[in-house]
Amino acid sequence: MKTIERLDPRVRSCIRKRGFTSLSDAQKQAIPLILDGKNIVLIAPTGTGKTESAMFPVFDGLLSLPAGGGFKAIYITPLRSLNRDILSRMQWWCGELGLTVGVRHGDTPMAERRKQALSPPDLLITTPETFQALFMGKRLRQHLAHVRYVIIDEIHELAGSKRGAQLAVGLERLHVYAGAFQRIGLSATVGNPGDIAGFLCGARPCSVVQVPVAKQLDLSVQYVGDDFRHQVEVLKKYLKREGSTLVFVNTRVTAEALGHALFGHGDVEVHHGSLSKEVRIDAEERFKKGEICTLICTSSMELGIDIGRVDHVIQFGSPREVARLVQRVGRAGHQLNTISRGTILATGFDDLLESLVIARKAGANEIEPVVLPRQAADVLANQVAAIAVEYGEIERPRIREICERTILFPDCDELLEKVCRQMEDHRLIRIDGSRIITTARARRYLAGNLSMIHDEKKVPIFDIVSRRTVGTLDESFVVGWVHTGVVFITKGQLWRVLEIADGKLTVEPAKKAIGELPSWEGEQIPVPHSVAQEAGGIRRTRSLAEYRTEPDGLAFASAFFREMDKNRSLVPTDELITLENTEDGVVCNVCAGHKANEALGRVLSILLSARYGTTVGLELDAYRMLLRLPSSIRAADVRDHLLSLDPATMPGVLRLALKRTALFKWKLVQIAKKFGAIDPDADYEKISIQRLLDFFDNTVVQHEAYRELLSEYMDIDTAAAIVTLVRNGKIRVALGLHSLIGAGGLLSSRDQIPPPSGDSAVLSTLKRRLSQDDVILACMNCRDWKTRTVVSRVDDHPQCPKCGARLVAALKPYEEEQYAIVKKPRKNAEERSTEQRLLRNANIVLSSGKKAIIALSARGVGPEVASRILGTLAEGDAFYREILKAERIFVQTHRYWA
Amino acid sequence: MKLEFIRSGPALVIENEERLLVVSDLHFGIEADLAAHGLHFASRSAERLERLMRVIDSANPDRLILLGDIKHSIPSLTRQEYHELPGIMETVRSRVPLVIFPGNHDIGLERFAREGEICPRDGMLIDGIGFLHGHMYPAPELYGNLIVIGHHHPLLALRDEVGCALQEPAYIRAGLMTGKGDIPVPEDRAGQTRLLFMPAFNELAGYDISRIIRDPFSPLSRCMDPGSAEIILADGTYIGPFSALVQDEDD
Repeated sequence: MKTIERLDPRVRSCIRKRGFTSLSDAQKQAIPLILDGKNIVLIAPTGTGKTESAMFPVFDGLLSLPAGGGFKAIYITPLRSLNRDILSRMQWWCGELGLTVGVRHGDTPMAERRKQALSPPDLLITTPETFQALFMGKRLRQHLAHVRYVIIDEIHELAGSKRGAQLAVGLERLHVYAGAFQRIGLSATVGNPGDIAGFLCGARPCSVVQVPVAKQLDLSVQYVGDDFRHQVEVLKKYLKREGSTLVFVNTRVTAEALGHALFGHGDVEVHHGSLSKEVRIDAEERFKKGEICTLICTSSMELGIDIGRVDHVIQFGSPREVARLVQRVGRAGHQLNTISRGTILATGFDDLLESLVIARKAGANEIEPVVLPRQAADVLANQVAAIAVEYGEIERPRIREICERTILFPDCDELLEKVCRQMEDHRLIRIDGSRIITTARARRYLAGNLSMIHDEKKVPIFDIVSRRTVGTLDESFVVGWVHTGVVFITKGQLWRVLEIADGKLTVEPAKKAIGELPSWEGEQIPVPHSVAQEAGGIRRTRSLAEYRTEPDGLAFASAFFREMDKNRSLVPTDELITLENTEDGVVCNVCAGHKANEALGRVLSILLSARYGTTVGLELDAYRMLLRLPSSIRAADVRDHLLSLDPATMPGVLRLALKRTALFKWKLVQIAKKFGAIDPDADYEKISIQRLLDFFDNTVVQHEAYRELLSEYMDIDTAAAIVTLVRNGKIRVALGLHSLIGAGGLLSSRDQIPPPSGDSAVLSTLKRRLSQDDVILACMNCRDWKTRTVVSRVDDHPQCPKCGARLVAALKPYEEEQYAIVKKPRKNAEERSTEQRLLRNANIVLSSGKKAIIALSARGVGPEVASRILGTLAEGDAFYREILKAERIFVQTHRYWA
Repeated sequence: MKLEFIRSGPALVIENEERLLVVSDLHFGIEADLAAHGLHFASRSAERLERLMRVIDSANPDRLILLGDIKHSIPSLTRQEYHELPGIMETVRSRVPLVIFPGNHDIGLERFAREGEICPRDGMLIDGIGFLHGHMYPAPELYGNLIVIGHHHPLLALRDEVGCALQEPAYIRAGLMTGKGDIPVPEDRAGQTRLLFMPAFNELAGYDISRIIRDPFSPLSRCMDPGSAEIILADGTYIGPFSALVQDEDD
């Protein structure tokens, strides 16, 4: 029997009415499986009729169920805009078939929600977060008992995130009411379909239907240079040549800049997450109707919102990931069986090589896997609170049962217990033996924490001098970096923080300061190791034969290599790490990708900060790291540390390194919020958030922060593997001159690694103070010369200009009058003792020179203490530590306090 | 007179005729206030008390001077404080005699104190040293002496070449200026008066020293002579004049 004939005649007639003449490959394969009641993950490019593949047989099933009673099918998408799109498509089908359909998400008005509670639609379209909210109402819970189908659209977007983990537990909570229901996942192409199936179904059987994408892609890479005006000119030519075009960019700033540059065209609109819903919908509609033919968009357009026919996709700048490129270009050629055409406009050297590699990989179907978050403790906390509210009170083993039915929380009993205890600490739940009991706070918590997406607050910056708001900072920046007195840069100006209170940051303009903070840049799309490594391979072989290049790119690449050679620069490759000295610190060129460089950079930073007792600033991208270091630490020092790394100890070192960084603190805050420790609108005024976070030492909250950072933000395994290759000589390490490659790149990730103790800051403060101290030099030989100067200007062995003697005493300003006593021809006993003191002072200066003068400038240090300090023969920092010790003794004495 | 700086407090031992241990700003019960600001943490009173007892054991003083803000909530007592304070006070008292200088947060503390423990809010001399919490002007007899105060929670941030490297509780020692503030400091004794601002014992409290000095918010911080202010870390490390630190920043 032909597939279509298995469908209910009413559905078939609708299909004809809608003008479908034949079923797509995806539909032919998926529909029979769904009709047979199988769980299924359907992996196919956008625009191959995925939604219909799922919904034809679901309609078929819904028609066979009795009318009314509750929700029968739930369709979940990651975005409200997708919900709206799906709703408008489903309304036609459901109308024709006599089924009811509703949408429910954050924007749904109260009246509509009430209506749904009273008479639930057969098909409910919702988001993962609103799906969570369905369990909170008594009546809605009853409706959930009738669910037979759950369809998760764009499941690849969810599976790799904590949102997805929350949804997975949500599905099992639904299972408690609805029993076994059929699960259908719709996914873009991924490297690991099996994991997606496990995510959807847990241990239940699940079929995977995969429609290959690679052979339908027609990709090219065009080099457009780094001049923005030229880039715009090239883009204009493409837009003229092609029909309707989506232009994907990586940042909102670029989207706005291009939109501005192309404004004169008249038929161009911009689409990104910061724009209002109305503006976005308007742009989508106008594109769909053909009123505009170019839409400049960010990842906001990646997912399958129907915007009609797309002839061509342009990716402005490297797409960074293969999956992303495939997904974006997949938007082109929306008719079945047409080829998707895409062009990457590469804007620089890294960008070109990276784009070529990604285009090759897309053609070869080498797509990155989606990494499932396993044992995410904050998701567990969130779901424990939700379940506690749902049931009022419940035995912990029942919660465990629910969680362990997902693939994400195997054997989670121990973790669950820790999570519950931590939540009890924060008074989110009560525990009575094995019973988990809800609290008044839990419901309130849930209302503010339906989502696992972290809503980052914007903290206004208020300038107390001009009495106006000068901008905003991200909450992550405030939590990680800011405390009173700190100086940071924003809008090209320096500001000193005066106060953090009432949800705002009060600042004053600052002059030049030491150790100012970099302004923050949000988390960026990381380039995978495999891509960065292959780009490093191209740098080594300098051969682009395998890649889709055009003349401009080839010419640029070979000119770039020629320039490097001409400058005698070493070209870092997949087999060569180069280290370069710069004004700001040391650049390490490592073609390892973002996450591995994050790990390696942080390990190096903490070792350097511990070794030299200094803060190390770290900025990096996929191909290089800049270690901001005091000027005394050079590339050779960094190399020595790199060569002495032990891969086995790196994970431990990294954990240590993370603890004091801004990124870690920010993660802790996010996770603590999910544990109910910190309310979404908490203000951090007056108390030190940094010390508050110390309370999480050795708790499940801290453990989760480590787990997430080490598994999702950085790749310690790859970093360790690279170090192993360095150790056995497969990767060489060399020092080079500062090169074009070392100077290039957008350093997108920043952090600071402070030293383990403040020792060096104290020492440098001491050195600075002593060198700036005033000192009176007085000749004890002719007794007729004195001068006032500062310690830093004193010669190594000062000499009296009058008599040429080196018997010069170094006096503190308030001791100046003692010199007059020395000159007196007749002295009493006290005056003779003063003379003796000055002579001893001068003798120490005679024998130890400037070092003695420095010691004598210290607080409470006279000739006796100074000669004891000098007697230790300590040099450098050890010498200054002796001075600190002497001063510490002095401030304990009556002499200091009297 | 001899001083000992106990870093694990921060706490200070002052030894003259008597051996006095001084601890300031414990803020027991701060967690209830944090919760009102959206930060929900279990009470850390037990840990804080344990730390205090360890300091007492190691210092072995004749008397313990609590320099105010022993409790946190104002204007009234919270359930947490009702519940915890009797035990806390009794534990300390059973180990060492108490001297309490009430602070602005200590409303309602009398009910937990024994007779004779509570001293005047504007301070008094003990063993030749003036003590008060520091939220009001000192009694006249204190001038001319070393005056130890709490209330300000001083915290020092030191930066190195690359970034902030240290943020630690610290002491400020400063002289007095005449003709500042609302109450005239007796001129003849102003010169000999030394103020010592103690850091807070509570682990969450901390207020940047440069703000205390540049933007004074209390009677005594307004009267202090900024030019004479010197900074000492909780462990007794002498950092030096505040003016030298400011210079670094404005270079």
